Amino acid sequence: MIKKLLAIVLFASTVTLVGCSPPTENVDTINDSGKAVMQLDYRDFDRAASQMVQSMIESGTFKKEGGGRYVVAKGRIVNDTMQHIDTDQLMGKVEQEMTRSGLIVMTAAVSAGNAPKDSLVFGVREQTRDSDKADEFNKDTVQAKGQLIAPDLSISGKIIQRNIRYDNGKQQVEYYFQLQMNNLTNGLVFWQNEIVLGKRGDSKKVPW
Amino acid sequence: MRLALNILLLGVTIGLWGCQQEDKRINMAPDVKSDNALVNIVTKPVIYAFSWITGEGLEIDKAVTYINKDGFMELEIQGHNRAFNTIRFEYKVEWLDNAGLTIDSTTSKWLTWSAAAKGPFVIRAVAPRTTAVDFRMNTRKIPNP
Repeated sequence: MIKKLLAIVLFASTVTLVGCSPPTENVDTINDSGKAVMQLDYRDFDRAASQMVQSMIESGTFKKEGGGRYVVAKGRIVNDTMQHIDTDQLMGKVEQEMTRSGLIVMTAAVSAGNAPKDSLVFGVREQTRDSDKADEFNKDTVQAKGQLIAPDLSISGKIIQRNIRYDNGKQQVEYYFQLQMNNLTNGLVFWQNEIVLGKRGDSKKVPW
Repeated sequence: MRLALNILLLGVTIGLWGCQQEDKRINMAPDVKSDNALVNIVTKPVIYAFSWITGEGLEIDKAVTYINKDGFMELEIQGHNRAFNTIRFEYKVEWLDNAGLTIDSTTSKWLTWSAAAKGPFVIRAVAPRTTAVDFRMNTRKIPNP
């Protein structure tokens, strides 16, 4: 009898606990009304990228004299935060929007660290032109030498995090998004901007 | 009789002092500028409460658009906060092309802005393409700040 009763209680509590767990739901990324978090989330990257792009366009420095577009190589973006951030989360949006604005074009042939952004830029040359299988390819479709365009500018930056402890068990986390475009011909900084995002909350919340 | 005249004179002087012209380019916050006959330590709570009850908030004065030298439309929205507290809000600007269609852009996101108490505010935005000829803006209260 007791065993039966225990089984019923166990079953009932299991059903109740399952019923209490919050259901999984898709995030409305267009009109997200979710709570702010201490870490960086996609909304922070959206805000930073939006303001960066607007600053670049507004600056009026990206209109190339004589027409055409500046060729931009991706430099190093340093993640100086306590979080594992793929800096492409920010740069992807900035590069995409600036390319669509018609002011710049990104190069996939050159980037920081001596590694091309797309290894196939050189890989296709090695495989179709310089390898022992080169004869298999139609010569008219193979990339000729001297076709790659060297970049005019490079984009580099840094994401910085600062944690500040407040009284009353509060903390403030500051995120600094710094970007700059450098002229590769003369080394001068072409454009530069910093966006600051601040978050304040319970010091028990871990910002990483 | 003379006493009544003196009181009247004092009242008029104080009243005129309170009505003196201020430079409209400078916004002095309610708790920063000097009190006067109408706004003082006694009347302030009543005025603040009345403002809160009547739901005073932000008002847009004008929206100016122009095409910059690179062909991108720029927008400046000027407004003022009628409330006695700072109002934080979110806004999203969408850009429209010649056909009235919205231009898909990562810049059209909810961005946060803040308007100081009883002060002016300015929102600036720039179109992401040269094809933008018009805009529309939406605002919302910050959800779960």
